[in-house]
Amino acid sequence: MQPVFRYTKLDTPIHRLHPLVKLAYVLLTLVLVMYPIRPTDMPVLLVWLGLSALLWAVARIELRRFGTLMKILVGTFIFLILIQGFTYRFGKTPLITLGHLRLWEADLGVITREGVWFGVVLSVRVLAATSSLPLFVMTTSSSEIMTALAKLRVPRTATFMIVSALSFTTLIFEMWSSILEAQKLRAFDIERMNVFKRALKAYVPIITPLILLLFRKANDFQIAMETKGFGAPVEPTEIETLTSRPADFLWLGLVVAVFVGCTVLKFA
Amino acid sequence: MSNDVAISLQDVTFTYEGEVVALRNLNLQAHQGEFVVVLGANGAGKSTLCYLISGIVPQIYGGRRGGVVSIAGIDPWDELLFVTAQKCGVLMQDPEVQLFMPTLKAELAFGPANLGVPSEEIFQRSEAALRLVRLDGLEERNPRDLSGGQKQRAALASVLTMQPQVLVLDEPTSQLDPVGRWEVGEAIEQLKRRGDLTIVMTTHETEEVLHLADQVLVLERGETVLQGTPQEVFSQAARLEEVGVKTPALVNAQMHFYSAKPGQPGGGVKIDAGASISEVAARIQSSIFTGELRIASQATPPEPAPKNESQPILEVRQLTVEYPGPPKVVALQGIDLQVDRGELVGVIGQNGSGKSTLVKCMVGLIKPRAGQVLFHGQDIRALSVGGLARRIGLVLQNPDYQLFTPSCREEVRFGLRNVGIPPDEIEALVDEALGMVGLEEEADLFPFRLSFGDRRKLAVAATIALKPEVLIMDEPTTAQDHRGRYQLAELARRFHEERGGTVVIITHDVDLIARYAQRLVVLHEGRILLDGPAAEVFAQTEELKKSFVVPPVATQLASEVLPPEAASQVMTLEDLFRFIVPT
Repeated sequence: MQPVFRYTKLDTPIHRLHPLVKLAYVLLTLVLVMYPIRPTDMPVLLVWLGLSALLWAVARIELRRFGTLMKILVGTFIFLILIQGFTYRFGKTPLITLGHLRLWEADLGVITREGVWFGVVLSVRVLAATSSLPLFVMTTSSSEIMTALAKLRVPRTATFMIVSALSFTTLIFEMWSSILEAQKLRAFDIERMNVFKRALKAYVPIITPLILLLFRKANDFQIAMETKGFGAPVEPTEIETLTSRPADFLWLGLVVAVFVGCTVLKFA
Repeated sequence: MSNDVAISLQDVTFTYEGEVVALRNLNLQAHQGEFVVVLGANGAGKSTLCYLISGIVPQIYGGRRGGVVSIAGIDPWDELLFVTAQKCGVLMQDPEVQLFMPTLKAELAFGPANLGVPSEEIFQRSEAALRLVRLDGLEERNPRDLSGGQKQRAALASVLTMQPQVLVLDEPTSQLDPVGRWEVGEAIEQLKRRGDLTIVMTTHETEEVLHLADQVLVLERGETVLQGTPQEVFSQAARLEEVGVKTPALVNAQMHFYSAKPGQPGGGVKIDAGASISEVAARIQSSIFTGELRIASQATPPEPAPKNESQPILEVRQLTVEYPGPPKVVALQGIDLQVDRGELVGVIGQNGSGKSTLVKCMVGLIKPRAGQVLFHGQDIRALSVGGLARRIGLVLQNPDYQLFTPSCREEVRFGLRNVGIPPDEIEALVDEALGMVGLEEEADLFPFRLSFGDRRKLAVAATIALKPEVLIMDEPTTAQDHRGRYQLAELARRFHEERGGTVVIITHDVDLIARYAQRLVVLHEGRILLDGPAAEVFAQTEELKKSFVVPPVATQLASEVLPPEAASQVMTLEDLFRFIVPT
């Protein structure tokens, strides 16, 4: 089992793009989603999501990976829509009435149309926020990330921690899958348990061996790194050189232009 | 070999924090270009010796040391790890944790780049290292996408770019299949031929390194029990057996035919530890010619295995399994297989040939794209997970994926509770299972305090406690020492003979499986290449080559010295000794 958002080497304009441009896209996404949110922000979010969709498409990322992202987020979406549906204080138009329980300005017994809409807007915001980082990780190799972060003067130890964590995810996925199999062979099938049973006791037989194994692997990992001189008090040689091409400036221009457009649209 | 001393250990003792003495009064001297093989059962202190030479102790694992250590002119105790790393490189068992960069090129550059080596020189070193391990042309590949043998060679190349004078190889082939072992072995041979590197290698595969070794060191509980040339060490087969080290089959054969008999002077004994199969065969033929040995015309045949009536317990019909890509992998392609009740079947083949996928389908862990698995004629899809666990037990390669409780007893209880065994019956089943694997006294110990071999036995106990009718062991020999391998195989045999159970063992160890299995199935590229009685399968040498399986040494030797009819009955040395006897 491989992590779904693992880097895949492909020759697409997005893969070739300077990592700092992709990093700029991630950062601008974060700025955009941190703007105060209003129910009328849907067009702004859709424009930005449109840009993300374009980048995903140009990067030729398989739909199943987007499907996985949606699968991970669907619970959050339902939660947001329901909670806003019930509690949105500007909700006026009842969609479903279960009873009446007033709490300050909200009626907790009524799902309102405005609340549901606001939940949808929040969900789209979450989707916009979460779709940028997987794109960056799936189209940028660890050495490019290291070089890019070095250009931003991020300390080498910190960048290597990020890169190692990315590399470790593959191992974690493989271990997780093997542990599930091993416990299933002893008639312990987490996948067939209901949510409450899972939450109560299911994770101990899975998480305990995972943690013990991770400690051991991390130890081996440390040995492998340090016996290759990691942490030596010398200036490391820069192996990967990143050069900017006209296409990088064009893509950067597009991302910044869309960001400015969205900002204007939001505050106009 | 030069006269410069590259490794010097004088009266070295090492105690880990927690007062565990791992090495005692160890002495070792190796010159530049020398190849030292370190042998010993699991827990003998081999890895600690590797850590000591390469500076991992005390820099990562703390402890106390006595004695004098000099590695390429430095004492790793006094230096930071990055300094020792420039003198001594280390390659560990598991290639997965040694590769962390996205491309092979970046992986190889990682070490020298950390030391600030100019990029031009890094590229030259990388190119040379890749050529040596025969991975040139794969620079842009992600190391994680390589095969097992390629990964370990990539890890070796990444150590070589540090240009060490001493190379420590800690069981570098123990987790690889025969092809991987051959590939890594070839790279190590290249390094040995280069002659400028002092190599220390720990292993359980004595046959693979015997011809390379200049010096052999055998450890037991941290102490040297034998030390000398391969000739000197391997002529003491009985002592090796005592400390759990495998004597190479060819040495055993020579010992049997040519060692001094009681009452005879032993001076004439001449064992050539590095002799090839052909050389030993030629010597035996010459002895037969001179009348020293003879071929027994009426060799007592081995006791035939009890003939089972054909009662299929497991049937696999047109099984096809695909793993989604990219790239999409067809792991099994329309497999048909029948396992009869009471059979002991060995499954062999390269990694990726579909062995594990096949047995995982048998227990319902993998859903096939097409085909079905029947247990007693019933499709296993109709059985619940618990129902299957009580009928077919699969012991996976790594016991650490399942152990999580505070005691061995609790670990065995876990499965029994899951399948709904009444509490008053559980304790008796736990005791019986722990007794069968010989862990009664460890019942209340924390499982992770057991050795790796004992943890595997505990996993077997947890499985057989469920009283399955079929026991499947997935590569029980991987990363195991000689003694541990046979202990697990013996467990399988007892399950088969005492409980009348059906056993399927996946392994790469042909000598072991030749001793235990009545029937062999050879998988190759997701298809069954051969299926039949073990002797018949091992006779198909040309077919076996496709799957990189080499028949047991005894079978190969027999095929050179015995008539075909007799040779086809030889799978173990004991078989051979029945056919060739002293006059």
